[in-house]
Amino acid sequence: MRPGGALDVVQLAAGVVLAGAVLALWRKDLRALISVLSLQGAALATLAGVLAAHDGDVGLGVVAGVVLVAKGLVIPGLLARVVRADPGSRETAPLVNVPASLVTAAVLVVLSYLVAGRLTALFPDPLTRLAPLGLATVLVGFFVLVTRRKAVSQIVGLLLIDNGLALTAFLLTAGVPLLVELGASLDVLLVVVVLQVLATTMRARFGHVDLDQLRELHD
Amino acid sequence: MSATAYLIGLGAAGAAALLGALLPARRRLFGAGVLSAAGCLAALVGAGQVLVSGHPFSVHTAEVLPLTGVDLTLDPLGALFVAVTAIVGLAASCYAVGYGAHGAPSRTATAMLPAFLATVLLVPAAASVATFMIAWELMALTSLLALLAEHRRRPETRDAAQWYAAMTHVGAAAILLGLVLLATHADSQSFAIIAEHRRQLSVPLASVVFVLTLVGFASKAGAVPLHVWLPRAHPEAPSPVSALMSGTMVNLGVYGILRVGEDLLGGGVLWWWLLVAALGVASAFFGALHAAASTDLKRLLAYSTVDNVGLVLIGVGAAGALAAGGERGLAGLVLLAALFHLVNHALFKGSLFLGAGAVQHAAGTRDLDALGGLARQMPATAVCFGIGALAISALPGLNGFASEWLLLQGLLHGFASHSAVTEAALLAGVAALAITGGLTATAFVKALGVGFLGQPRSEGARTAHEVRPSMLAGMALLAAGCVVLGVVPGVVLAVLGRAASAGLAGGAPKALRPGLGLDLTSLHGAIEPALVVVGLLVALVVAWGALRLVPRPAELRRARRAEAWGCGRELQTARMEITATSFAEPLQRVFADVLRPDHDLEVSHAAESRYFPGAISFHQRVDDAVERLVYQPVIAAVGWWGRLARRVPNGSVHRYLAFGFAALVLVLVVLA
Repeated sequence: MRPGGALDVVQLAAGVVLAGAVLALWRKDLRALISVLSLQGAALATLAGVLAAHDGDVGLGVVAGVVLVAKGLVIPGLLARVVRADPGSRETAPLVNVPASLVTAAVLVVLSYLVAGRLTALFPDPLTRLAPLGLATVLVGFFVLVTRRKAVSQIVGLLLIDNGLALTAFLLTAGVPLLVELGASLDVLLVVVVLQVLATTMRARFGHVDLDQLRELHD
Repeated sequence: MSATAYLIGLGAAGAAALLGALLPARRRLFGAGVLSAAGCLAALVGAGQVLVSGHPFSVHTAEVLPLTGVDLTLDPLGALFVAVTAIVGLAASCYAVGYGAHGAPSRTATAMLPAFLATVLLVPAAASVATFMIAWELMALTSLLALLAEHRRRPETRDAAQWYAAMTHVGAAAILLGLVLLATHADSQSFAIIAEHRRQLSVPLASVVFVLTLVGFASKAGAVPLHVWLPRAHPEAPSPVSALMSGTMVNLGVYGILRVGEDLLGGGVLWWWLLVAALGVASAFFGALHAAASTDLKRLLAYSTVDNVGLVLIGVGAAGALAAGGERGLAGLVLLAALFHLVNHALFKGSLFLGAGAVQHAAGTRDLDALGGLARQMPATAVCFGIGALAISALPGLNGFASEWLLLQGLLHGFASHSAVTEAALLAGVAALAITGGLTATAFVKALGVGFLGQPRSEGARTAHEVRPSMLAGMALLAAGCVVLGVVPGVVLAVLGRAASAGLAGGAPKALRPGLGLDLTSLHGAIEPALVVVGLLVALVVAWGALRLVPRPAELRRARRAEAWGCGRELQTARMEITATSFAEPLQRVFADVLRPDHDLEVSHAAESRYFPGAISFHQRVDDAVERLVYQPVIAAVGWWGRLARRVPNGSVHRYLAFGFAALVLVLVVLA
């Protein structure tokens, strides 16, 4: 892809995905986390759509539509329902506090640039140079998963990982086949539904959705 | 021909296992018993032909195991072990038909006895590393399942099975490591090719292989300090399985040492065999001592197995040491004696374990302190057990005497050898033989006297009854073997000589002249047990006749008859009798440093005055010193490590996720 308007959009969209992940570390309000997710979904869909328009690939265009619907609307919508059931809930006390999390995210981004250097060296191209962003999103998502207590934050972490993987896939492959993207999106949708049920049940049973309190269940 | 008979035997034993698993409950025992007995007979014919002709046979099939195929070769050494297994297996199969018939015969228990038997028949014929290890592990597995047959009724069985499983796994791992080293060196896993390449093997590597395999084989043989599973597992197994374990499975440990040390490694260096002999001396002494102190009949027999395996290992070690010093004739004689003792041990220990099973069946307990007077209710069992007990105590006229005499002759003549170290080892062997002779006699006087003579000490012993004919047939077969080999040991010497010659690298000259008795060729020494027996019988008849002929004084004619071990008292109750514990007490006092008995004396007082005791209860436990000093610290350390590891997964989802995250980041850092 030659430098130009399309590439700028792609670069911006990829940057938004990573920025969203970092934003998810910063904000404690669960509703804000969900907005971050829809923002990421929209960015991913834009990226896929621009790539499809540039290559004239109809399949990728359909994928962009699926991403927009699934990641941009349906999944955040489902999560918003969980949060609405418990309006005042915030990620009050993460296992690692916000400043330390942001520093860690910076370290993870550097690490992913170091690792992905080998990948980009295989096929230097403006698109593959963006691959570290995807990898960094995956790592930050994993970090959210490890350090945040609320069930909704955990789902958000998982979705961040998925978005990071999708971003990497869009950037490194010559277009994700429709079937694969459909399968992946449906899987993620299913996971979200299951976790939504789990969170609802947890609140009904224990009166909170703090996963860290669940350690007595291990035997 | 011999190959066909042997394979038919294996097949029949395998089919018996299938029958035991598939037939309906009523026919199961009989079908499996008859078929496995037939299999034993066929295997005996096959092995007998190899032993008599001296020509080994080989079978190879590529169909059974992918990649490696199955290699079977039966040479005279292996054939001896197959023949012994077949004889004990025949008796155990007969016995099992009656043994299982009392309770509901479980499917697993009925099937596992012939399956175990088939694997024991298979191991000595294995002629490649893969075949050997598979047969060896199958033997461990089937014996473990056979051992677990009564686990529902007795929780101790589970404990015993855990010990056995752990020890046999460690042993198998050591053997596998040793054999794989050999196979890698020879670039082939066939035993024949490994044996051809033995000259290129460096001594340190060969020593590593020998020590590794020795660990595995000694643990199977039950040599001290790897014996700890044996006094637990053998008593807890059903009696036919105990007989097979003690009479045949432990032998394969000795077989393995000979096969690897002499055949595959070519005899090696002196210290290997001194190590084997040292294990033998330790086992003989330790086993005999614990047997003398045990009050559980089957535990006594199990420790006595440790003792006898020790005697065989003394012989094997001495033979290897003499052969390494170049004295082939003497080495052949000592190895022959060791193998003879192994055969005899299988016969008398088989008969004793089957007898102990009959006692347990009839009286409901195997605690000697609760038995007594069984000779009256179970005369046939008492005779079979008595023959076994006299044979194991090495009394002339029975087979234990013949082999121990031969072993002693071999060891004593070895004093003329040139190496001072070997002489010292032989001296230790002679000393061990002497002391275990005395201790074994004590143990079996106790078993026979307390168990079968005197008055019954419990309701179970009072109401005991003779067992079924099929069980008696099994015991009688082995007891008859003890008598035959004791009176005319010469009949098996040619066969044993061939096996001993095959067991030494480079062979051995004939050590004994053909005949009915024992007559050494190159050395001075001969004995004719048949004449000894005839002489003893004549002396008995003469003494008895003389007593009848000579008129006795009147007061002697009014002599009152009391039962044996009843101390001739007018009023004798069971509580006045000597018990097994009290019988062993003096010995325990002498060897208190080794045995360290744990006493527990509780005296309760009468309510009125503290000067009058109400009841006194006395408990005593004799722990295995090796287990306490060597194994318990290891188990404690493993347990500590396990508890430490349990702290890591504390149930927190975040901690588990953090492990995954840390691992991912670590991999990325390494990659970057």
